[in-house]
Amino acid sequence: MSAASTESRGAQLVLNIYVGLFVLYLFLPLAVMSAAAFNAYDYPSVTQWQGFTLKWFVALAHDQRLLQGLWNSLLVALGVIVVSIPAGLCGALILTRLQAKTGTALYSVLVSPVLTPGIILGISSLIFWRRFGVPGGLFVAVMAQSSFIASYAMLLFLARLQRQDRTQEEAALDLGAGHFMVFRRITLPFLAPTAFTAAVVAFLQSFENYNTTVFAIGGEWTLVTEIASRLRFGLSPVINVVGVIFVALTVAAAVTYVLLNSRKKQA
Amino acid sequence: MGSLARAYGRPLAALIIGITVLWILALIVVPLGAMVEQSLWWKESAGETSLTIDRLYNDIATLQLDRDSATDTEKQAALDAEIVAKQAQATELEASEKNPRKIYGLANFTRMSELHIYIFVRTIFYALLVTLLALVVCYPLAYAVALASGPRKTVVLTVALIVPYAINELLRVYAWLMILDYRGVINGVLGWLGVVDLDNRGWIPFLENPSAVFVAMIYTYVLFMVFPMVNTLETLDRNQIEAARDLGATSWRIHRRVIIPHAKPGIAVGCIMTFMLSAGSYSVPQIMTRGQGGDWFSQLVYRQFYESNNWNMGSAYAVSLLVVCTLFILLMMRLFGVGLRDIAK
Repeated sequence: MSAASTESRGAQLVLNIYVGLFVLYLFLPLAVMSAAAFNAYDYPSVTQWQGFTLKWFVALAHDQRLLQGLWNSLLVALGVIVVSIPAGLCGALILTRLQAKTGTALYSVLVSPVLTPGIILGISSLIFWRRFGVPGGLFVAVMAQSSFIASYAMLLFLARLQRQDRTQEEAALDLGAGHFMVFRRITLPFLAPTAFTAAVVAFLQSFENYNTTVFAIGGEWTLVTEIASRLRFGLSPVINVVGVIFVALTVAAAVTYVLLNSRKKQA
Repeated sequence: MGSLARAYGRPLAALIIGITVLWILALIVVPLGAMVEQSLWWKESAGETSLTIDRLYNDIATLQLDRDSATDTEKQAALDAEIVAKQAQATELEASEKNPRKIYGLANFTRMSELHIYIFVRTIFYALLVTLLALVVCYPLAYAVALASGPRKTVVLTVALIVPYAINELLRVYAWLMILDYRGVINGVLGWLGVVDLDNRGWIPFLENPSAVFVAMIYTYVLFMVFPMVNTLETLDRNQIEAARDLGATSWRIHRRVIIPHAKPGIAVGCIMTFMLSAGSYSVPQIMTRGQGGDWFSQLVYRQFYESNNWNMGSAYAVSLLVVCTLFILLMMRLFGVGLRDIAK
């Protein structure tokens, strides 16, 4: 790193060492967890090495509950996207056109779920839906997660709308285009990339959510809640395999992103 | 509202407003209201009533015996009347036992046991400690990352910080469970060195110490402090630092007068997120104690809902937690002089 212009060499060295140590602190535990997935020993461990194996990957492929959990997680994430993207979009459209005062009040309400502890969102959804006779389950999980994921989507749409050139919409109206036409041909295409980003963010947030889901899920389970309940009853390297897959996918995504970006810069 | 209708036409504007209202009502306000309402009432205890009913049935059985052994009809009639009266009373009580009276009040809050209050206070204290420690650790880090430039910065930022951030929270906690476990990495290494004897279960029980939860919690939530701070520090004009240095300011003074004031919104957001996540965390204490310890307040809340099945008490606990978190947010906003718009970016 080259902040040399603002710091003396010695200070820069100390800072670099500090960043290095921190990165080490972040990655060592993940490395330990990943390594244990390949250990033949029955208990997840790296200190008692009994040889390299892939048998835990096979065990995962036959683990019906985890696979069902994965499927449930995908269903919930899909539901969250369907609920939270339109909600976030509508909230942002209103907010960009409101006066400062009412705007701030509405903004506070719409953003509040982001600042609320996850377990509270899960609990309040659980109580609310039981009054309509809906017990905890995948549906309540979708609703509980959407309450804050819609806020994230709204923030993304808001940022995009701030860069919007409204004269385009007005010009189209002046030229006789109908309101639906303007919305479909100008507003939506302008917001489409953000909608995609928001859907990806919503998917990831939903997929890895635990604190909200565990309260709303009732007797059902998602991949993440199943992992958590497994950790209560004796550890198994199968969970480490799930970890390895998560780490590999994340690293692959990050590296792709960096490579794509640097290519864009060169071009 | 007028400008919305002008831009998109009445039907579309109505739809947009409708969806937003539905979001606010069905996902945010009414569920929260339902939780608060649930925390404000309880059902009359059924224990007393069922004792009375038992006693009535005992009486009826005795009277029945008396009636069967009685010979003169007058006495039989009197006993019959008494039996019928008692029977009616029992039926009435049974109905109220099945459907106990709902009583509104604050008892769910005041009835919290001393142990639970202690755990509540300790949770808040630990969450504050996690926040403070994360702040101290992250400030130099955010400073180094934000003011660096070039390709290495991109690598450090995207790969080294975002990858662990994107890995599932549970897996990050699990990694620490493996490290601190009885046969975990630390005990394993100590075993090699001959410090502890693993074969005779002479390991150091890190997991039985509450600080295990603390260690894992810092690891899990520290990055929520880093990113907001990096975001605000990146907007700092480096010329300001250079100018201050040229004018003879010491490094300490530059941080205190130039950099920290600029980073305020980031610090506030980082503190709010870290505090909120750790005070309300269920995953970290649940995994680190293997569901056995009840060290963290969120675990008490979960038990009220899923083990004691006392939703009223559980709601009261949840409301208490929410109140503390809200107070913390307001305090931070006041302390750092930032508005809600600066916070959620």
